[in-house]
Amino acid sequence: MSPLRDQLVGFIAALRAAGVRISVAESIDAMNAVAAVGLERARMHEALAAALIKDEADRAIFDESFNRFFAAPRANRAEHPDHRGEQVSAAGGRGRPGENPFALPSDDALARDREEKSLPSEAKPAKQAAAARRHGAEKGKDAEPGKDARRLSDRMRARQERGEAQAREESPTPDIDAARVARIRAIERTPFDKFSDLDYDEARDALAPLIRRFRIRLGRRLRLARTGRIDFRRTIRAALQRGGALIDLNFRARRPRHVDLVILADISGSVRYAAQLMLELMAGARGCFRRVSSFVYVDHLAEADFEDGHLVMTPALDLYARSDFGRVLGELWERRAGLLTRAAIVVIMGDGRNNRLPARADLVREMVRACRGVVWLNPEDPARWGTGDSAIKQYAREVSALAASRNLRELQVALAAIA
Amino acid sequence: MLTREQISDGLRRALYVTNERVETAIFLALALEKPLLIEGPAGAGKTEVAKVLAEILHTELIRLQCYEGLDEARALYEWNYQKQLLRMQAGEQQGLRWEELNEHIFSRDYLLERPLLKAITAPSRVVLLIDEIDKADEEFEAFLLELLSDFQVSVPELGTLKAHERPAVILTSNRARELSEALRRRCLHLFIDFPGTEQERKIIEIKVPELDAKLAAEAARFVGAIRKLGLRKPPSIAETLDWARALVRLGVRELDSDAVRTALGVLLKHEDDRVKVESKASALAPHRR
Repeated sequence: MSPLRDQLVGFIAALRAAGVRISVAESIDAMNAVAAVGLERARMHEALAAALIKDEADRAIFDESFNRFFAAPRANRAEHPDHRGEQVSAAGGRGRPGENPFALPSDDALARDREEKSLPSEAKPAKQAAAARRHGAEKGKDAEPGKDARRLSDRMRARQERGEAQAREESPTPDIDAARVARIRAIERTPFDKFSDLDYDEARDALAPLIRRFRIRLGRRLRLARTGRIDFRRTIRAALQRGGALIDLNFRARRPRHVDLVILADISGSVRYAAQLMLELMAGARGCFRRVSSFVYVDHLAEADFEDGHLVMTPALDLYARSDFGRVLGELWERRAGLLTRAAIVVIMGDGRNNRLPARADLVREMVRACRGVVWLNPEDPARWGTGDSAIKQYAREVSALAASRNLRELQVALAAIA
Repeated sequence: MLTREQISDGLRRALYVTNERVETAIFLALALEKPLLIEGPAGAGKTEVAKVLAEILHTELIRLQCYEGLDEARALYEWNYQKQLLRMQAGEQQGLRWEELNEHIFSRDYLLERPLLKAITAPSRVVLLIDEIDKADEEFEAFLLELLSDFQVSVPELGTLKAHERPAVILTSNRARELSEALRRRCLHLFIDFPGTEQERKIIEIKVPELDAKLAAEAARFVGAIRKLGLRKPPSIAETLDWARALVRLGVRELDSDAVRTALGVLLKHEDDRVKVESKASALAPHRR
């Protein structure tokens, strides 16, 4: 392998380590892209970005890594051939040991100047600090070492600050706030069992756009298709006017789907974040269903409602009681049988950890028979299903569908699939 | 095959003011024959890239506007059902057998080519613009994958149709929803943001040369400033240009708060945006009255 290819492979590995998702095909694209545009630094920068970065939220990480890996060329390398190793590592700036930063060959100082101007502003600090250090190292041989470098770096800083101020003025507010998108993506992928209260608050903030997206998605699935089964009678009638040629097809109108939703969410201990976020998501998509009845449970059933973003339950539940889903099922079956109709889909969110109390999976079977379906969402890792006091395996045999929903993203996908 | 410099030249000649990032991305899309996915706020010039590219390549632009519920029949092909029926009736009178008829009515003559098929079967390279892909359903996005990676489509009755010349494909997205990783993987990516003040001034000068240079600079600065106010719909470049033209027509000499107010409807399309900007008009306008 050529050194440049090695460098690119290392660069891609570093990006992957930083959380950017890059496929093999994309890394091949990156190589081809570099081959196509050549080694001029600014161009190579943009070429690699086009091939590797598919989400503007990852752009900052990319720029930072690029500057670490492909340091700007020195203008005066010819004068100090013996200093190469040292200077390259200095130019690497924030490079960690063992990462082997790589300097591109330079044509002349002019090219370098041009590049410096076209470089994104946040790239400047590292580069200039590196340049300052480099100058310091060169002059340090005959003059006092620190002073020159310090003066230089002061000047650099002043220039840099000016540059940043300019950049601030120049850059318009982007419609898509990259940092925000990145945060939403991160929180979407955080497993519920790793949630802290802080994460929960952040997830609630992120929820607003998610709810909107979710509602659109659900609505689309529930919307009537324009075409469907052919209305034979109307088609033939229309054809009669044309001597029997079936020119216009008429379609039978689809009946609107009425879906009643019955949600049961476990709000005890470990799964409460998942349950609350689900209830909130569903509350946002209320309009897509004919009727939504939400319940929460620990050892009893309680009606749930949202008021100003806070969960209100009647009657209040003891959150630290031992959860008993068997009894909850019994209560639902006896007192709320009116809700369990052919139009109803029952969504149960819980980990099925029943403290070894009776699971009453037979009631779930009855519900499946009475309703359109019973869907179980489990926020636990599938690997842990059925271990310890988990009765999920028993329920799994009876329900219409069982899906893992370990994080917000999986939860949304599972919920959207229900409708 | 165009070189990098030819593309910069072409863009300049097509009056498209741009930067290194856009030029490199377009060049790579052509050089690597890969689709280019362009994201960015509405009105930043995403669709324009495709139009300009068609101009540079001296070729046709085939556009597929995506919307909710777009399906294969609208995007790829459809059998011309009416024509087939007429053919069958005519065939019956001529006494043709079913096999002969069958061969006839499932041939290219009876195929209604929609944009995607048109782009693939075109004799020379065309530019295919798949606009606002985020508005299409996820199912349609999945369907696009085969097309974008191999540039071929399968029509059951005709077999697989492969592109003679791979079209240059541009996809645009406003991020109404997240696109799938699979689609992103197959495309090169470009993010186009609103231009900075300096770039916007250039755009105004090139596209609306009648406007006084000083006024153009002020207009660019003003638009840049109101985009920062967090409006419901920040003005697009096209709207900025309309506004610049309006200023010319209104004979505005100086951009003071009154001049700003008179033509604000060209720039802002929401009532609350207009109220917001009007309340700050005197602070934002470069000239006081």
